[in-house]
Amino acid sequence: MSDHDHDHKPAPVVDEVSDFEILEVAVRELAIEKGLFTMDDHRTWTEYIHTLGPTPAARLVAKAWLDPEYKKLCIEDGVTASREVDIDWVTSPPTQFGTPSDYCNLRVLADTPTLKHVVVCTLCSCYPRPILGQSPEWYRTPNYRRRLVRWPRQVLSEFGLQVPEDVEVRVADSNQKTRYIVMPNRPEGTDGWTEDQLTEIVTRDCLIGVAVPKPGVTSNVKLPVMKAANPVPH
Amino acid sequence: MSDAVDDETEFYGDRKIDSKPIPLLDAIKEKGRVWEDLADEYGVTNPDPPWKITLETTCDLLAGDSCVKDYDEVDQDTTLLPSLDRRWEEDALSDGRYKDVPFPERQLLSLAHSMINRGLLDEAELEKHMAAVEKRLNSG
Repeated sequence: MSDHDHDHKPAPVVDEVSDFEILEVAVRELAIEKGLFTMDDHRTWTEYIHTLGPTPAARLVAKAWLDPEYKKLCIEDGVTASREVDIDWVTSPPTQFGTPSDYCNLRVLADTPTLKHVVVCTLCSCYPRPILGQSPEWYRTPNYRRRLVRWPRQVLSEFGLQVPEDVEVRVADSNQKTRYIVMPNRPEGTDGWTEDQLTEIVTRDCLIGVAVPKPGVTSNVKLPVMKAANPVPH
Repeated sequence: MSDAVDDETEFYGDRKIDSKPIPLLDAIKEKGRVWEDLADEYGVTNPDPPWKITLETTCDLLAGDSCVKDYDEVDQDTTLLPSLDRRWEEDALSDGRYKDVPFPERQLLSLAHSMINRGLLDEAELEKHMAAVEKRLNSG
């Protein structure tokens, strides 16, 4: 036994090179060979889209909570409103040639006391990457994609979000050309808060619509596991 | 939705899409193993193949500034494969020639199809390079 043995089994990997993987590499390398783009441009852009996060969208919502005119702009023209949070869907860094058209059209869905929005992509995993970063794994699962449109309240309850019966749930289905974020209602207990404070509580999950902002909750993805208050004996 | 009128032409709306068969891509369609099958076999849970992100980047880089201008204003000399053209062609091919191929494999086949039709790639050259890539990736 070596010193590097672990108690756990290694995660499974696909130990096989498919024709599709080979085709992707070959197309990319030939394009580089022909000077259609450079290897460095390709790597830089891939890194860029992989390292985007949800903070710009959170700030957009926080600004809208503080400024009714800006909120109106968000609802009417999400692409223009995004510029206020340094996201230019037209000339994004680092290449300055813009994001692809298939996610240029951003729509901001504003919740109201009687309406709750939630976003899905039933076809695949379309997601507003420039302003929200990479989608979480669960967003891409057939479980979420298929069931949310049929049983939205049940799926939301599985995220711990109980939507009252008198609140309508509206599911927005993303597609190749239109992407959505949710602007949740500003929670109670945040009077007098600054834009920075408000930004912290608008988590990624709130922007997808499977959670709502709460004072004190600044992340829905890294919560520690809590012991059950009433554990089932076994 | 596209309407196939013969084996080589489809219409997407009023746009004519050249969908004539490309033997190399048809062979990959027939014998290539798609990610959902590989993931099932190997017990992998990530829903997308690792190459999806680089495929998207390739599409992004070929699109140039075609998304920032109205379609009629796109400078064809500087935009190698306009986004809307690629998406229309992908939609038509996904609904026709590559209908039975799942996403994102069909996006990849459609991209290669569009590039070959435009002369950005040559089929024989692509086949030759694929053989070299296969040898390299399987050499470890």
